[in-house]
Amino acid sequence: MAQTENPSRDRILERIRAGLGTVVPEPAATRTERVIFEPINNPLERFQQECVANLMECSLTADCAASAQQLAKVLQSLPEGEAFLQDDPSLRRLVELAASRRTVRWSSEGAPSEGSQATVTLAEALIAQTGSILVSASCGGRGASVIAPCHIVYATVAQLVPDLATALSCMSQQRSLDRNSFACVISGSSRTADIEKILVQGAHGPRRLVVILQTGT
Amino acid sequence: MSTTPAQRFLRDAAEKSADLVHRELIRRGMESYDAAHLAGRARIKDWEAARQKCQEIKREAINHLDRYLLQFEEKVTSRGGHVFWAANGEEACTYVRNLATRLSVRTVVKSKSMVTEEIHLSPALEKVGIKVWETDFGEYIVQLRDEPPYHIVTPAMHLNRGQIAKLFREKVDPGIDSDDPAYLMAAARRKLRQAFFAAEMGISGANFLVADAGVLAISTNEGNGRLCTSIPRIHVVVTGIEKVIPRLEDLAVLWPVLATSGTGQGITTYSTLIGGPRQPGEVDGPEEFHVVLVDNGRSQLLADAEQREVLHCIRCGACLNICPVFRHIGGHTYGTTYPGPIGSVLTPHLAGIKEFKHLSYASSLCGACSSVCPVKIDLHHHLLQNRRNATEAGATKSSERLMFRAWRSAMLHPRMYALGGWSMRKALRIIYGLGLAGSILDPMRVWNRHRSPVPLPSESFRARWRKSLGAN
Repeated sequence: MAQTENPSRDRILERIRAGLGTVVPEPAATRTERVIFEPINNPLERFQQECVANLMECSLTADCAASAQQLAKVLQSLPEGEAFLQDDPSLRRLVELAASRRTVRWSSEGAPSEGSQATVTLAEALIAQTGSILVSASCGGRGASVIAPCHIVYATVAQLVPDLATALSCMSQQRSLDRNSFACVISGSSRTADIEKILVQGAHGPRRLVVILQTGT
Repeated sequence: MSTTPAQRFLRDAAEKSADLVHRELIRRGMESYDAAHLAGRARIKDWEAARQKCQEIKREAINHLDRYLLQFEEKVTSRGGHVFWAANGEEACTYVRNLATRLSVRTVVKSKSMVTEEIHLSPALEKVGIKVWETDFGEYIVQLRDEPPYHIVTPAMHLNRGQIAKLFREKVDPGIDSDDPAYLMAAARRKLRQAFFAAEMGISGANFLVADAGVLAISTNEGNGRLCTSIPRIHVVVTGIEKVIPRLEDLAVLWPVLATSGTGQGITTYSTLIGGPRQPGEVDGPEEFHVVLVDNGRSQLLADAEQREVLHCIRCGACLNICPVFRHIGGHTYGTTYPGPIGSVLTPHLAGIKEFKHLSYASSLCGACSSVCPVKIDLHHHLLQNRRNATEAGATKSSERLMFRAWRSAMLHPRMYALGGWSMRKALRIIYGLGLAGSILDPMRVWNRHRSPVPLPSESFRARWRKSLGAN
């Protein structure tokens, strides 16, 4: 890889260091650790509440067969067109069980196309505090969670973490950003309020974000 | 005759504050923001502790800026990304333009970035024949109107749906037959989808640069930022050097605080982390990844012991929303990339104290801005310091200096003060009596031009004090 030519790099660094030479009096640090966010006692309950607030659809399923049934139901509600799926054994199995007649395209065959009606992926984690799903490039790529009008996430309760702090420190410890060039905390469907602050669901990304959350194995 | 920024500011401020349609639109917009912001703050158990934490994170980052930037650079480079350091806007624009030309880019999709506004990147690209699409809905609207963003978070909040529908009929699709926001958004989506898939280059900003993980964090609600950074084969990030934060875990508080202060949300819909181009084995993503770190005057602020903390700003827009001046004169009146209190503090540093000192006076120093700032920047005191700095730099008019000298000696000599007050009361009584209030002969013209004169007291405060108040 060619080195980027950087004629001003050293000059800027020099200016920064010179500027930092100025001593700025700092207020005495208050080192008492205050609790910023309410502790989360029941992550599942909190996750479901936040999903409602984020205008997401979350359905609890008991087992794989029930999840497949739920997937089939969601796919059936969508207009004609292919579905894009993250190529993962668990999703292959789910699709088999769902027995949908829809054309399926797997992530191993390339990125989702503009014509995809739905994308189905796994998640790295679910975050109760904000009702979010955490995806990475490993979850079918970057476009998998944003290109189609409907994004369906298949996850298990074991993936639920209480808060952002836990999710981020797990990512740090597992060095998952060393393996993935992309990750995203998604908290609802795409939206805008740029006209008169009126909320419009479905801006450039999915109008629907569906979580199929399986409690059993 | 050419006008100075200060003259333009006064003219536009007078015009906008008398525009009742505009004021009603802003009032309603801000009312809905206020409600969401308060509800959002209430969801955080200890808001003050959250602000404190954010302040500490940013202070730590800025006080070791060189170290954290180098850490970020090393990580990005190791993934095959490029980091370019731009001393000013021109260097940044030249780099992006050369890159685009070298890689035969004809179409660019942009997600919202105030730094690209600051350095005028889009005009620089358009000059060499590159088509630039703003893809944030609000930015797209103001781009169609050939206007700068009105607000750093909600760029088109000065327009109502009727105006936007009319604009879309003229510029996007003559068949537009509704002013429903969802309908208009759908029309923009259709148009911009074509741009996303046609563009060779996506340009984004960054809300944070995370040093330890070597990734940038982008917060968007619409998903346009996601598309800009996923579909085109080149991704260019243009951002300020002050956006760096030390650790990935810092986002656990910065993300919720940014979203709460910006829109009242608990977290922005898409909180994205990107560390480089598409890696081997990944399904999609750009082949090329470039980060342009823009200094453009920021490093000078580090040497300012009083105002270094201005670099802590996370551009949430809360100080604009709360500011009684912004609420009356609107965003465009400031005539700067960054409007509102933070813009009034920052612009003199970036664009010159002499030309932009007037912004320090566009404040009642009420302190509302400082009270809402999520990283606790002492904004109103910085406005006061900028006033002092302008005076010390000799940027004030000689007539103003003369007036203040007279004021000073009057304050030091009670008799002279009394005489001044007496003659002013007499003179004003005559002027008002002749019906000349607000005219060129009226010393109180600035006030009286647009208002009825304040009734004149029959005697001085000193006289009243002696007679009654002092007796108790």
